[in-house]
Amino acid sequence: MTDCGCRVSRRTLLGAGAAGAFAGLVGDQLATQLAFASPSYGGDVFVLLSLRGGFDGLSAVVPAGDPAYYAARPGIAVPRKQLIGGDSYFGLHPALAPLLPYWKGGSLAAVQAVGQPAPNRSHFAAMEELERAAPGTSLRTGWLDRLMGGLGAAGAFDAVSVGGAMPARVLAGPAPDLGLTGIDRFKLSGEGHGRPMADTMAALYAGAPEALARTTAMTTSALATAATLKAAGYTPANGAAYPDTELGRALRDVARLIKANVGLMTACVDSGDWDMHENLGTAAPGKRMYDHLADLAAALAAFARDLGPGGLGRVTLITISEFGRRVGQNGSGGLDHGYGNAMFVLGGGVKGGKVYGRWPGLAASRLVDGDLAVTTDYRAVIGEILRARCGLTNVAGVFPGVSASTLGLVRSR
Amino acid sequence: MTASAEFLPDDPLLHLLRRATYGPTPAAIAEIRRLGAKAWLERQLKPASIGDRVADGLVARFPLSGLTIDGIHAKVRAGVLPRYGWAPMYEVGGAALARAVWSERQLFEVMVDFWSNHLNVTCPSSDVWDSRPDYDRTVIRKHALGRFADMLKASARHPAMLSYLDNRYSTRAAPNENYGRELLELHTVGLGYTESDVKDAARLLTGLTVSWETGRYRYDAGRHATGAVRILGFRHANKSATGGEAAAMALLDHLALHPATAKRIATKLCVRFVADEPPARLVTRLTKVYLDNKSAIVPVLRALFTSAEFAASVGAKTRTPYEDLVATVRILDHGPEKSGTEAIKALYWTSEAAGQAPMAWAPPNGYPDVATAWASPSGQVVRWNAHLNIAAGWWPTTLRRPSPLTEYAGGTLPATYGALIDAVATRLLGRTVAPAHATALAAFYGKTLASPLRSGDAAAGWAFPYLLALLLNSPYFVLR
Repeated sequence: MTDCGCRVSRRTLLGAGAAGAFAGLVGDQLATQLAFASPSYGGDVFVLLSLRGGFDGLSAVVPAGDPAYYAARPGIAVPRKQLIGGDSYFGLHPALAPLLPYWKGGSLAAVQAVGQPAPNRSHFAAMEELERAAPGTSLRTGWLDRLMGGLGAAGAFDAVSVGGAMPARVLAGPAPDLGLTGIDRFKLSGEGHGRPMADTMAALYAGAPEALARTTAMTTSALATAATLKAAGYTPANGAAYPDTELGRALRDVARLIKANVGLMTACVDSGDWDMHENLGTAAPGKRMYDHLADLAAALAAFARDLGPGGLGRVTLITISEFGRRVGQNGSGGLDHGYGNAMFVLGGGVKGGKVYGRWPGLAASRLVDGDLAVTTDYRAVIGEILRARCGLTNVAGVFPGVSASTLGLVRSR
Repeated sequence: MTASAEFLPDDPLLHLLRRATYGPTPAAIAEIRRLGAKAWLERQLKPASIGDRVADGLVARFPLSGLTIDGIHAKVRAGVLPRYGWAPMYEVGGAALARAVWSERQLFEVMVDFWSNHLNVTCPSSDVWDSRPDYDRTVIRKHALGRFADMLKASARHPAMLSYLDNRYSTRAAPNENYGRELLELHTVGLGYTESDVKDAARLLTGLTVSWETGRYRYDAGRHATGAVRILGFRHANKSATGGEAAAMALLDHLALHPATAKRIATKLCVRFVADEPPARLVTRLTKVYLDNKSAIVPVLRALFTSAEFAASVGAKTRTPYEDLVATVRILDHGPEKSGTEAIKALYWTSEAAGQAPMAWAPPNGYPDVATAWASPSGQVVRWNAHLNIAAGWWPTTLRRPSPLTEYAGGTLPATYGALIDAVATRLLGRTVAPAHATALAAFYGKTLASPLRSGDAAAGWAFPYLLALLLNSPYFVLR
């Protein structure tokens, strides 16, 4: 077990929709405030990739133009000559090379110095706050659930999280959703030729009270959909090769669901183990940060390639993390918990090849307790994307008290 | 559609067992029939009078779960445990699961779970690595059938709560309002406080903190914000820093005995034991019992379980994933493994996969306790799979399982598939299932109810556990 416990699947720890506890309180009320462009959803599939444990955005989107960066990280800064992509000030970590075509092609962007409205350096509390996204309120639903409520999600495959058996905490609340450890693994134990478990369950719930019958109908239908997908098999398109990692497998399943037109509106995927207090390493293969970023990049590149330009045109994927890491390296060649962070945005509607956000600088006087300051609220960035790509007109309905950013990082759909 | 009650046996003793315990076992059914409802309940309300050899033995296999804060720090100093290690917290979870399944003090264990959610301190979580076992023992278990006012005060002086809700960082210069707010909203009166109440509560609670050296609770007068406070009818001059702790305890007594708190706890108890939407008249009556007894819980429970509303609530509760899992092992009458903790850990991870590992809910409000919160296809699949995995002995593999046909179908081979289904349903559910459902179960084996059952049939051999699982998957079992 790592010290933060981030490798325990957070979604199963936090798990479980909590509809009843909130229905009739604030959740429903908020949901009805949402107004979407069209009654039947015609927006992007919104994919949320959570980088658990505190992602070091400064290693990924390197502020090469800021001398304080090199001064603060004598052992682990990425040398300027190794940087790829980026712009005149920032450069991308070399392990992100698989994503370079998307950066250059304009479907991948980064936003720097984003984060939560107030520093919170506890993994646990920060993740909780990140996914609830309603500080100063009594809301206990997840923000993606509030979004899905507004979208009128009604089916199990409308909102899916891949990687754990129960839906992610960010989906907690009344809207229906589905947690999958993987499409091929979503099945009934014992189901097989001559052993019709699911059909028998449907028969046993015939005549059951409404609430029980409804869930079972959704379960058996979701099992049937998964069985169909499984039987059809899956070969990624365009020669896309996903890495055989948890993240690669999860994104492969997301692409599979998108292409199968099962009604997917949003998907959540986790990528863990970014909590690097020690031995973060230099920018070379075999080093911890390098290998983690390489896996992330390979999985995302395979996802984009698999979807192809047409498919990517109706998908927006963002990465978020509970906090960024300290600017200065510690005595163990790692980074302690920090504040401001970078996020990536990938999709056909992205105006990519650019680092967005107001850069606060890394001079000592600009830092917040040694950490990168936050100049853009992550909720405002997501709000802008949801407004432009998913038809959300009332951002404050999902994120109370928040207005969408005006960075212009995506084209309106 | 059929009313929920029609899926359950018409038997008040089984109704009481399903609600006041983690689910019937053959032994518990025999006991309640012998004692009758009243004597059975009174016995459960005095847990110290009940011997609990099996559960005690299992808990002893989780020695870290019983450590004090000093005990954990000593082991860290000795190099036996890592600082910030999670093992003691996982052992608390494992011990809770073992007790839920095998303790004789069932109502006590259900109440421990109830309070663990009411005064939730997520286990495991990193900021309570050294204090969560102690919190379980000295706050929750110590007061689970005592007075709520005492439990609330104990929680307010415990490092686990003070760390989890940030009061340890609260100072007079910068009061942290997290604990003050949840104390009002979740632990006591519920929504209905003002921001001024929160601010004054936060100020009054400054000084209640945790020693960085020892990890123990301490009151630091130097951090206490003095000055008059007014919180939901409570007034205190709060003049001296040294008197801050006593003033805070006076507030907690006031809150614990506040009518809004009484109503809130009465409501939550009814949601746990009676119905997701509890009868208002019962809540009103229990609120009065709570206040008349100065927050003592036993009189409230006694009034609840002997009420007409309780008796009339058959079918009004659905098992949560955790209750379902524990009830499964109990009704199948599986014994604990002979040694070690492999099976208990497997059950723990199953409950985790179903979204409800004991005490692991992350937000401070505790696991939701109503059916709609758990109505998810993913959760249902996890539960259904667990039923078969457990019944067939696929996972966990080390529980002591009774001889299947003898235990569940009565020793002699039933003559037909219909008779087999009736016998097993009666054993597991306390009743037979409706003819259409029995027909569907026979059809699972490709048979009719009248088909003769032969000893060589799969249904009497390797495929027998499927029948157990299908019955446990059905509405007859999911209802509590």
